[in-house]
Order: sequence, then structure tokens, then C-alpha cells
Amino acid sequence: MSRAEPTAIDPRGPRFSAAITAALLLVDVVLGLAGAELAAWLLLAALALLFAWGAFAGVARHPFGLLYRRLVRPRLAPPAELEDPRPPTFAQGVGLLVAGTGVVLGALGLPLAVPIAAAAAFLAAFLNAAFGFCLGCQLYLLLIRARVIRPARPLAGSLR
Amino acid sequence: MHWSAALLVALALLGAATALGFVLRARSGRVVVSRGGGADASTAAAALGVEPAAFGERATLVQFSTALCSRCPGTARQLGALAAGTEGVRHLEIDLTDEPALAARFAVLQTPTTLVYDGAGRQRARIGGPPRTEELAELLDSLTRRTRVQS
Repeated sequence: MSRAEPTAIDPRGPRFSAAITAALLLVDVVLGLAGAELAAWLLLAALALLFAWGAFAGVARHPFGLLYRRLVRPRLAPPAELEDPRPPTFAQGVGLLVAGTGVVLGALGLPLAVPIAAAAAFLAAFLNAAFGFCLGCQLYLLLIRARVIRPARPLAGSLR
Repeated sequence: MHWSAALLVALALLGAATALGFVLRARSGRVVVSRGGGADASTAAAALGVEPAAFGERATLVQFSTALCSRCPGTARQLGALAAGTEGVRHLEIDLTDEPALAARFAVLQTPTTLVYDGAGRQRARIGGPPRTEELAELLDSLTRRTRVQS
């Protein structure tokens, strides 16, 4: 993990992306539960690819983020403050893990895994879009506490 | 499952997510009064891994952050301004990214989490999420025994 400061972003961008993602995930839940298994799997696979795009290229280069910059932001007042893009980028990785699990289990013959994964990802995306809570970001601290994420620099240099 | 049943499940999911959002919003940033644990400033400072001199004379705002926390920088600015504008109050920001043991010791489940210590080093309050400025200012007033002019 790099500690270099990346270019700050408009915090409304990721929330706009989360709103579109949440809507598509909810559609996916309906498709998966109603028995349109192939359609649900394809939609979740597409959303997993979008999560991967956001996680690896950064939220600023996410297609929905570009849509926001092109179509929405010019119509809005400038943001009150800018935000570090790393937390939402990390959250995209969490979304990729959840959606990816559903896609893999669905491909292995567990079709119910697709709407369940979509529902879990929907919850996080919806809370981000509607309430500004970044569940994926909060997960980062829990992963540190579970020692899943190792400190980026050795503790020996720290006084604490 | 029939289409109508699937739609109902999706609506229930939307409702549950909305309810969860309102619960989270209602709890976020509230000043929760602590039972005043901790003996003195040096014990409290040692538990946090900071120098006792870093504590404020009247009160100390200890903010736990991580490197990947979207609302920590804003909270740091908010608490920094509050500390700068109130005599005897200091603001400390502790990055938990490299301190899993510290996060466990203080049972931190979200960032930012802010602990408020009084001048004697007793923990007086805990705030999960970006603090509500009015509530925190009231607490600081009571800790610094300074009356504010009602507007």
C-alpha cells in the first residue's frame, strides 16, 4: 500500500457510482430469486468486473465515476471539500470480493449464491449512496484488528 | 420463486437497508458519556502510547483514524479547530493502521472514534463517527467549566 498522497476527488462521485451500482444489484437480486439464473449471473459478473475496474484502476477512473464527471458534476456547485480516493477504492475491492464470490459459487452450481452476494453488496452500496456510510472502509479497521492486513511499515521504527 | 415474491423480497431488502441507515445515522457522532475510568493522565497517556505532555490541561480529544478512512481527515480538521479555539484542550490523532493491539485495547470498531479525557486523565466520553459539534462543545464546556453565551 502506498502512502503517497493521490489526487483528491469529489466525494459525491463515489456516492453517485454507488447509487447506480445499488440499483443494478437490486435488479440482480430480483432476477436471481425469480429464476432468471443466467441473466442474474451475467449481471453480477458485469458488476464484479466494474468493481475490479474501480479497485485496480482507482475510483477516479471507474466508468460511473467518469459518467459523473462528464454529465453530473458540471451541473452542480463545486464540492465543499475534496476526499482521499483510497478509502472508496479499497471499498471497491471489498465489493469485488463479495460479488466475485457470488459469481464463482454461481458458476459452480450454486445459483442461490448470486442473489445472496448481490444482496450483501447492495446493502453496502445503498448505505454509501443514501447515507454516506462506507461499510467497506470500516471493514479495513476490522481486517487490521484481525491481523489479516499487515502493517505497511515495520513496528520496530514506531515508538508505540 | 415467483416474480412477485422476488420483487417483495427486494422491497423488504430496500426497507431493511433504509432502516439500518437511519439507525446508523442516529447513533453516529453521538457523545456517549463514559464511566470515568482511568487513574491519571500519565496512565491514560501510557495506555494510548503517547507522551503525558501531549495531554491538554483541561481536556484531550483522542481521535483514532486509519490510512483508509474517508471521514477521518474532516474530523481531524473539526477537532483541531475545536481544540485550537478552547483553552487547555488538545487534539491527538492516532493512526491505528500500524496499531492493531491499540485498536483491540480500546475496542475500536469504526473510524473515526474519539475518546474525550478530562484534565485529570479520566475518560469522560466516547464518540463513534464524526462527532456532533454542538454535543461535543457542550461536553468540553462542562469539562473546562466555561459558560457559553446562549445565542
